[in-house]
Amino acid sequence: MTGVLAAVAPVAVTGYSVLTPLGDSVAALVAALRSGRSSVAADADFETACTSRLLDFDPTRYAKVRGMRVYPRATQLEICAVALALADAGFAEGAIDPLQLGAVTASSFSHLETLIEYDRGLTTVGMQRTNPTLMPLALPSAPGAATALSITAKAFAITLNDGGAAGLAALGLGARLVAEGRARVCVVAGAATICRELVSSAARAKLLTPAAPLRVLDEASCGTAFGEAAAALVLERPADAAARGRAPLGFLRGQASTFAPSQDELATALARACQRALRQGKVAPEVLALVSCGASGIANSDRAHAIALQRALGDAAERPAVTAIKGNLGEVLDPSGLLQCITALHALRERVAPPIAALERPAVAGLRYATREAELAGGAALLTASSSTGSCSALVLSSD
Amino acid sequence: MRRRVVISGCGVVTAAGHELDTFWNALMSGTCWVKPLQHFAHAEMGALHGAETELPGEDRLPASIDDNPYRARCLELGLAAARRALLDSKLKATPEARENIGVVFGTTMGEERQVGDLSESQAPHDPAEPATPRRVDASFFSRVNNHQLAAQVARAAGFGGPTLLATTACSSGNAAIAQAYDLVASGEADAMLAGGADTFTRLIYCGFSRMSALSASICRPFDKQRDGVSFGEGAGALLLEPLEDALQRGARIYAEVAGYGISNDAHHITAPGPHGEGFVRAMQQALDTTQTALERVDYVSAHGTGTLYNDRGESEAMQKIFGARAKQVPISSIKSMIGHTNGPASVIEAVACALAIQHNAVPPTARLQEPDAELDLDYVPGIGRAHAVSTCLSLAAGFGGHNVCLVLKRVS
Repeated sequence: MTGVLAAVAPVAVTGYSVLTPLGDSVAALVAALRSGRSSVAADADFETACTSRLLDFDPTRYAKVRGMRVYPRATQLEICAVALALADAGFAEGAIDPLQLGAVTASSFSHLETLIEYDRGLTTVGMQRTNPTLMPLALPSAPGAATALSITAKAFAITLNDGGAAGLAALGLGARLVAEGRARVCVVAGAATICRELVSSAARAKLLTPAAPLRVLDEASCGTAFGEAAAALVLERPADAAARGRAPLGFLRGQASTFAPSQDELATALARACQRALRQGKVAPEVLALVSCGASGIANSDRAHAIALQRALGDAAERPAVTAIKGNLGEVLDPSGLLQCITALHALRERVAPPIAALERPAVAGLRYATREAELAGGAALLTASSSTGSCSALVLSSD
Repeated sequence: MRRRVVISGCGVVTAAGHELDTFWNALMSGTCWVKPLQHFAHAEMGALHGAETELPGEDRLPASIDDNPYRARCLELGLAAARRALLDSKLKATPEARENIGVVFGTTMGEERQVGDLSESQAPHDPAEPATPRRVDASFFSRVNNHQLAAQVARAAGFGGPTLLATTACSSGNAAIAQAYDLVASGEADAMLAGGADTFTRLIYCGFSRMSALSASICRPFDKQRDGVSFGEGAGALLLEPLEDALQRGARIYAEVAGYGISNDAHHITAPGPHGEGFVRAMQQALDTTQTALERVDYVSAHGTGTLYNDRGESEAMQKIFGARAKQVPISSIKSMIGHTNGPASVIEAVACALAIQHNAVPPTARLQEPDAELDLDYVPGIGRAHAVSTCLSLAAGFGGHNVCLVLKRVS
């Protein structure tokens, strides 16, 4: 089996941004991760759930976009993250030919609060008194459309809905579209905010930890915590980045998605995604320095991630340092894969992996868990993600 | 080296029928299936029109997935179309082979009725108070996730490949086909089931009504008297596989997916860009990337919603792309018969294109009675007609400015 990225890889990452409770710059976020800080805490809105809230977010601090105030908070976050990422990539406003700029959004639930508000309006105050501007923003594609509108991305605007695996899948799609020449520049973005109904439902389903700290990959893992965050990455072909004198922050080398029909098959499907991504990226498990695991604190899912890594890496399983940033930031769903990618690229360049917050007793042995900052030897990383619906995704990247 | 990708299985569930022959004959007859709705209503809107789909027993949603088929209607339709496409393909894959087959579905609204169900369950309503979280049950989290559409299809088929859900509003179906095409062409998947599903939702009816984009009665695409959209519900699915594999297993090959073009208007959150500029770029990219000469295009399946702006923009785009030849290329909208099914519309239209190639005939634009002097193309008014079709373009556009154009060709 060959992969699209294998034929044309790698695709360069030339800019990125984060908006998280642990910092609104990559440097601040990484410093917090390396010190083991977590933003997951008890939330007065919920009796049996913790959250990771992004407090004091003011979109006007990050971007000046016409109509910003009418957008839902998640869309505002995404628009701001995209503006910051393009600036980080060295693109002044209006510097990119709109016809050569595309956007891929990872968005599973970021329209949901608006949809709930709109629908509740229809059933309570009636159609004529429900705010009509909410309707187009309640579509699942709306956050991506609004983001593309904010940067005048005319090449394409596609939204992927894949739950917790959407971020890595969106990076793979963005890389493919850039590699094929459908755009010279592609922004891949995602954002998540706390939706009361989702948290309440997940708490009832006993998916959430009732108390901090959030423990991932640990024997004591007993559920996750939803978080708020946004992230964006700018992708270009290496030749295009070089032509404008831009040194890439790293490279996307392979991405694969698979599906697990049941929880029992999650480890097998995730291992398959890892193996395919490694094969696409032409990266042997022996040269991996880092694994950024998508484990979120849900015990059986975390266990599947660990087993999948063992199977995919084989004899090299104990070589790369394994980190898992959801222990710090909570489960932010769509942007989680983007945050994993950004922090992994940073870790590869700094040659230090952040520790897994609050990890004391790993539930599955046989991996080199980063219980404290871990020195990295090598420049390649493997990222894993899975969603509650069974979607699995893996991404391979490198620092050079 | 990219592989050639073909359609080797088709499934539709529409008001015009669920069997391919029935569906095709209904389209060719120019029968309009938009009627007063029996199973969907909104108290404030009086009598609503739409093209409703009746599912036979074998297509009904298993209670194990959701015991409330009304709220899970989108999923029910999607599963039915997927099942029919796989049956039609006669694909017999081992469990190991199924690990390399995936699913990409597209939807405009997805599981919106799950939110409607939530709103209803929280009555009595007090607009001054927030929702009562205690009334949100444990399954809402998974039921409201639109990815269930792709996941349940993959689960039912036993597939283990990439399982994705694409949303680009009402061009989601074409976006799904485009992604599936890329995954098969590149070798990342051995085959993909591409599809789409949507049902009637109050968000769509109320939203379009407030925007004055909902037809007061029944839509008339490209007609001078056109006054907006009529909706339909339905789903479509296509099995895409490499040409070599299809030939090897003796599959019926409907058409080749030669490639696609994609663009975004970035103009307005609802209104399309002026003068069909986004359509033009999507069409031109589709022609260029598939190395399709203009004179080889025999038929264009229009987005053709029946709104003032869409139909004008689409017609302008045709004239810009085809120039002097524009009037010689038939272009029609099957939405005039089965309504606008939103996300799956372009999948269903891709099926119609594949059947057009099979039958060497083009479906009509029904109810087109009074030509608009501004729109001067061959819209195939009334009933379908025989016409040699080897290459089709299939256009789709969506809220937010998403345009996707597919190129389908006869496999010789």
